[in-house]
Amino acid sequence: MAEKIKLYDASKCTACRGCQLACKQWNGLKAGQTVPTGTYQNPPSLQPNTYMIIHYQDYVDPNGDVKWLFRKEACMHCTNAACVTVCPSGALYYNKDFKTVGMDREKCIGCKECVAACPFEIPRYDSKTEKVYKCDMCESRITNGLDPACVKACPTGALKWGDKEAIMSAAAKRKQDLGVVASTYGDKFVGGTHFMYILKEQPDVYDGIKKNPKVPLSVTLWKSWLKPLSLLAAGGVIGGSFLHYVLHGPKRPDPEEVIQDEKTQGGK
Amino acid sequence: MKKGLIKATSGYERFVHWLMAISCLLLCLTGLGMMYQSLNFFGAIMGGLKGLKLVHNYTGLVFGISLVLAVLMWWKEAGIFVFPEDIDWIMTAGGYLWHVDKVPEVGKYNPGQKMFFLTVAFFGVIMLITGFFMWFTAYFPLGIELLRWTYPLHVLGFLIIFAFFFVHLYLGTIGSPGSVSAMISGWVTRAWLKKQHPKWLKEMEHQGTLIVSDGEK
Repeated sequence: MAEKIKLYDASKCTACRGCQLACKQWNGLKAGQTVPTGTYQNPPSLQPNTYMIIHYQDYVDPNGDVKWLFRKEACMHCTNAACVTVCPSGALYYNKDFKTVGMDREKCIGCKECVAACPFEIPRYDSKTEKVYKCDMCESRITNGLDPACVKACPTGALKWGDKEAIMSAAAKRKQDLGVVASTYGDKFVGGTHFMYILKEQPDVYDGIKKNPKVPLSVTLWKSWLKPLSLLAAGGVIGGSFLHYVLHGPKRPDPEEVIQDEKTQGGK
Repeated sequence: MKKGLIKATSGYERFVHWLMAISCLLLCLTGLGMMYQSLNFFGAIMGGLKGLKLVHNYTGLVFGISLVLAVLMWWKEAGIFVFPEDIDWIMTAGGYLWHVDKVPEVGKYNPGQKMFFLTVAFFGVIMLITGFFMWFTAYFPLGIELLRWTYPLHVLGFLIIFAFFFVHLYLGTIGSPGSVSAMISGWVTRAWLKKQHPKWLKEMEHQGTLIVSDGEK
């Protein structure tokens, strides 16, 4: 099957949060108690039991017009996913068909390495279950030919799930239609994300969005360099010790001293 | 016990050494079990990879304790280079790498041993600090950008300690015959001591602190 992408078109989103609810419903997630803070955005950020939220933002554009901006935040399903790179147990993996980032919670050991590695700061650790939670693009649905729950629930067509090529060209066309300040987000980072946005404004206008997300240098240094180097160094030392033993020879006590010792010990 | 053997280490020294050695090795093995997915099976006898992670975390505490004890015990003898004789020894590489007619006499610890001690002490502290924040990420005060760097630092510490461990293993056993008993029974031969730590032998003889076995028992 072909690589697939989920597309969020902010220009069609009414922030009804049907997707947020459908996500909770399909994944069997409870809601936590929150307090009103003067915004519809609730909960304030992603949580172990909230894989996606709709952001609400009052924005005053350069012309002085007030705009109400919405943005759906969830796992971006990177092509080059730092979380998969660092996961020690194989709990995080690429879906073979769609290239989305799935998660096998049975295998999760709660080490939180993905939490620190994710350039979008998406995964959430739950200290009660000692496991990590994030959107898996409704793995159980997409592998059975269904749309992700959020896409299924969207009443305005703001969310779409489809083949990468088709979605990419549709996104480019939509951006053209929306005019000069509109933008796409996701296609240019981490080898391309499998969740991408069409935004009504330039990305840096949006609160909490990552301006230039990339696999952290620390992750590359750790997994591509230091990890193999550590075995190489140990192997080099073992090989070097062997060569030392056969070429230079061990450092033995002087023979005459050994004979002297044996005399003291009473012969033999 | 044979007559004429010389006491090189106390029971406490050997206890601290092995507490550190065993905890450090267990940390290396469990760490490898997490670093390489192909080695995840190391966790099989610990109730799975999650059990392995717990063993790693708590063994870290034991290692931390042993590190504190080791530093308190050895920093004066093994943590300070003495000039110029240590430089002279380093210039000859202790006679380990090429032929040297007269290796400068060394005391209780040669500069190579001192380097190993200082390396383990320094990177051991790095491992404890980075390991603590990898375990309890929420307590890290400097933000996620810097938290990310605790991981490669932890692996760098592993790289250096693990490689140096094999040098230590080789030179403590077949690379220098007669050494291993210093950490098993604590008694070594006079010939070994004369070869490896002649200055220390002289010091002990001079100060009258030399303990020689009388062959009884």
